[in-house]
Amino acid sequence: MQDKTIRRVLAFFLLISAVLIVVAVQAVRNINRSVATSDWVNHTHAVILEAEALRSALYVGDGALHTYVLTGDARDLAACRDALANVTEHLEITKALTRFEPAQHEQTIQLDSQVNQRTGFLQGILAAQQAGNAETVRAMLTVDASRTALRDIQRKIEKLKADELALLTERDNASYLQAQATRWTVWAGVVLDVLLLGGVAWLIRDDLAARRRVTVALQEANEQLESRVKARTAELAAANTQLSTENLERQWANQALEHQLRYNQLIVDSISDLVLVITKALNISRVNPAVIHLTGLESTALINQPLASVVRLLPAHPGVDAPLLDPVAQALKDGRDLRDQLAIVEDKRGRQIPVRFTLIPLRDRDKVVGGVVTLQIVPPEVKAEE
Amino acid sequence: MRPLKPKRNLKLCAVWVFCVLAVIRLDALTMSELLNDPKMTPKRFASLFEHFKFEMHPFDVQDPNQFLGTECGDCIDYAVLADYVLKLKGFGTRLIRVEMIGKNTGHAVCYVTENRAYLDYNNRKYAFKLERSGPTIREVAAKVADSFDANWTYAQEFTFDYQTFNKRAVFTVVKTDPPAKDPDKVKPQAQRAKPNS
Repeated sequence: MQDKTIRRVLAFFLLISAVLIVVAVQAVRNINRSVATSDWVNHTHAVILEAEALRSALYVGDGALHTYVLTGDARDLAACRDALANVTEHLEITKALTRFEPAQHEQTIQLDSQVNQRTGFLQGILAAQQAGNAETVRAMLTVDASRTALRDIQRKIEKLKADELALLTERDNASYLQAQATRWTVWAGVVLDVLLLGGVAWLIRDDLAARRRVTVALQEANEQLESRVKARTAELAAANTQLSTENLERQWANQALEHQLRYNQLIVDSISDLVLVITKALNISRVNPAVIHLTGLESTALINQPLASVVRLLPAHPGVDAPLLDPVAQALKDGRDLRDQLAIVEDKRGRQIPVRFTLIPLRDRDKVVGGVVTLQIVPPEVKAEE
Repeated sequence: MRPLKPKRNLKLCAVWVFCVLAVIRLDALTMSELLNDPKMTPKRFASLFEHFKFEMHPFDVQDPNQFLGTECGDCIDYAVLADYVLKLKGFGTRLIRVEMIGKNTGHAVCYVTENRAYLDYNNRKYAFKLERSGPTIREVAAKVADSFDANWTYAQEFTFDYQTFNKRAVFTVVKTDPPAKDPDKVKPQAQRAKPNS
């Protein structure tokens, strides 16, 4: 959640920066365009002023010429020459100003031609006057009585001025529109940035609220967990105490059992009769020291050996054949005792010792799992009687 | 009262003569002094006009002697005189006038090629009397207009002759024209020299 919010906030700030950059670039471009338009406005004014100055200089020159013709004063001649020099200067500037405006330049070229003709004509009058050729001067002035050429020039200048004024209106409109565009760009940028900042603020507020909710939930969960941990700890402590008690009791029981086992072992071992524990398959699983003593075999040699390899039942009556079924196996199968049966034990040296054979089945939960065979050595006198 | 000693009188006279000469020199800078100054440089030239006053002259360029005598004049008097004097001293100079239509004013300066700077009458009282600028008319015009906090409209390089008191345009650069097509860039230096000859 945190990373997502940071990414969103960063995205918003990038957007705000982008808007700012776009606004700045656009505003600077508009300002540059506005400056260019302002230059064009100045340029138009310059053309108008130069055209006006040209007309003025032409009239001044014309007037000075007429005065000079009348007075012959050198000062009037100088004034006329100055005015004609000014005409040339203003014409040159007007030409330069309209150099890259084809329509206006065309007009200026025409004007140039007419003005040159006019100045040439005036120079001619001056030359004639200076040469003292009054007739020529008079004739030339008579030809120029209506000043048609000067009026033509004036019309041309008026036309040029009118065109420039139209351009001025156009450029002024452009300047106004550029200023408006700059205003709109800046304000739109500001509004957009404010909206974006609002979005960021909302996002941050939302994130903080979510964080608060999460904190509260986490706190509640922690409290629940803590109480559950406490309960579980108490349960575990109780279980541990119980287990410890049980362990102690089991330890005691085991000790008692061990003690009982050892005691039983001692009892069995202390019996002078031969005791053999057999499995259900009639194999010896355990013997007491009396068996080892009598047979002379080690317990390892006896264990897992068939019972028949150590002891053999005798027939109940001499001369009777041995029963078809093994009575020991039968007794175990039936789960009954077999008592005081005559039997022979063969020791290590092959000596046969008569014994009384008793079998008691070993039961585990009412199921015969083996048997205990006890062998009592038959005393010699009893043996003789039998 | 004791009579003055002859030796002391001589000293006093010498001091008086020196003071008078100094005052005359400061008060009335002459054309010949300017032209005969062997150490004349654009900077030195500018420093001689620190105390001059500004006064618009109705008839364009004043006679140089009148300008020096009255110690009053305008930018074109100063620029034209600088152009005249420094050109004779071997400097490459150019007269440039800048028109600022929006400000309803124009200004003339004298550009000195060797210094890559122009002499401006408005800077005569400042420590840096030469204003550094690129050599094109457009660069000079931009710099001059900046000093007026104004936009320039067109600028013209021109020549002036004290004999005839005639101005002649060499190049006219218009601000709205493409800079690459400025006549002082398009046409070589040779054309610039033509009107002078």
